[in-house]
Amino acid sequence: MPLSKKRIGIVCPYGWDTPGGVQSHVGDLAEYLIRQGHFVSVLAPAINDESLPEYVTSAGRPISIPYNGAVARVLFGPIAFSRVRQWISQGDFDLIHLHEPAIPSISLLACWAAEGPMVGTFHAAAKRQKVTFAVAPFLEPVIEKLTARIAVSEAARETLTEHLETDAIVVPNGIYATRYSDGALDSQWSGNTIGFMGRFEEPRKGLAVLIEALPQIVTQIPDIKIFVAGPGDSREILKQIQPSLRSRFTFLGKISEEEKANFLASVGIYIAPNTGGESFGIILAEALAAGASVVASDIPAFDSLLGHGEYGTLFESENPQDLARKVVTLLHDAELRKGIAHKGKSYAQGFDWDVVADKIYDVYEMAMVGGAKVTLSSENRAWNKFLGRQS
Amino acid sequence: MKFVVVLFIVALVAWYLSYSATRLDRLHHRVETSWANLDGLLQRRAAIAIEIARSEISDPASSMLLTFAAHQAREASVRDRSQAETGLSGALGILLENSNDISGVIEQDLVRELRELTEKIKMAVAIHVDAVTRTQLVRKKLINRIFRLAGTAPEPVTYEFEGDVL
Repeated sequence: MPLSKKRIGIVCPYGWDTPGGVQSHVGDLAEYLIRQGHFVSVLAPAINDESLPEYVTSAGRPISIPYNGAVARVLFGPIAFSRVRQWISQGDFDLIHLHEPAIPSISLLACWAAEGPMVGTFHAAAKRQKVTFAVAPFLEPVIEKLTARIAVSEAARETLTEHLETDAIVVPNGIYATRYSDGALDSQWSGNTIGFMGRFEEPRKGLAVLIEALPQIVTQIPDIKIFVAGPGDSREILKQIQPSLRSRFTFLGKISEEEKANFLASVGIYIAPNTGGESFGIILAEALAAGASVVASDIPAFDSLLGHGEYGTLFESENPQDLARKVVTLLHDAELRKGIAHKGKSYAQGFDWDVVADKIYDVYEMAMVGGAKVTLSSENRAWNKFLGRQS
Repeated sequence: MKFVVVLFIVALVAWYLSYSATRLDRLHHRVETSWANLDGLLQRRAAIAIEIARSEISDPASSMLLTFAAHQAREASVRDRSQAETGLSGALGILLENSNDISGVIEQDLVRELRELTEKIKMAVAIHVDAVTRTQLVRKKLINRIFRLAGTAPEPVTYEFEGDVL
């Protein structure tokens, strides 16, 4: 197929300076498209303009607001809106790709201001809330302007159908599978070990479930060790653990990308006891790509990512006894463990950016069929004329 | 004073009508785009089906069946299109399921192309169906019916597709 170079605009709703799933997804996607020869401009809120990559344009300083049980760094307001409009009219885009257009930030503003080929990606998975019924009448006319919608997981798709009565194509999040595929076996982490990664202080990451399961695991596997990688204060966590078991925990702090590959390839079991709030589970995909044997809670995102238990082992969420049983079974049976891990590794290749970005680009092509450019929306045009402004 | 209030209400109604008309117009445009996209992909599939019919994969009887289905799909009207395309999917499915010997380079290429195309068609159908449902929903709104804001735009036709044949 002849590849024509396109001008693509991507809008990221969250502050670029704070690490997060959506931000890194947008960054990886933008870099991939640039390598393919397209022109890409990302619009995102940012605190520090100077440290931004060349392809990112700042839309202004993000505002921290509590949203959906966490603090979101978003941006809205008249000044942001005029920046968004300026970015659209100057960008001369063939297509714009809006991330999380249903949260109150610049993606929503861009969706409101623009017209033409537009693709939206929905990342979040949330339970149905009463408030959605109140905001749906405002959101629907805006969201329906999107030519095509992408959801990163079945869970995100269900959220979208429930909240806004619209369907989406599922394209998973991307990982760099090759980065993890040849991690070296490091003897300090291998053996009867359990690995955990992430901000362990956050209750929804579920480290507490593992801690509760530990006494039961120790009776069966006396030499079990647990390695926790990720930023946070370990002292608070250690207080929750029985003194006799504290020595089994090693907190590694934040580890580098290279160490991450080795870590995932070495640990006996990689565990994700998350209690909820996950939409996709990118770390699980990375763990699979590294060849880890994965044990995860059966929350919807993990259940679907692990193919209902085919590519990793699921335990009943927030049930330490079940977790302990599954871990013990796996550590006792190396054949079983390797079998699942092997299947998982080849399955995880499907999440590689090469595959995922191609699918996203397929959606782009479908949205660009008419050959129209992205312009400011006609309601705005009428207003601009009325007010005597130049659009 | 009364005059100002009346003027304000008239302006508000006028704005709302123009807003609703723009919204509908945009939705119809979306349906046109998504249909153009789907139509293009389906045409390509029919072309591949005819090539498969001429290739080594196909026996004479299957060739006939396939060519017939492909032509029917190409000539069908918008309303009969999904049924005709389902017929073609069926013919392709039966043929590829029963032929173990897809060894030639050209044949393998054809089958791979067909498989990729089928993936895209599934996506295109999802996009199109969503656009159609949304448009029908908005068209049904009372205000749009009373003021006939959809104008002469034809009622969009939904597309049913059994995508799991291949």
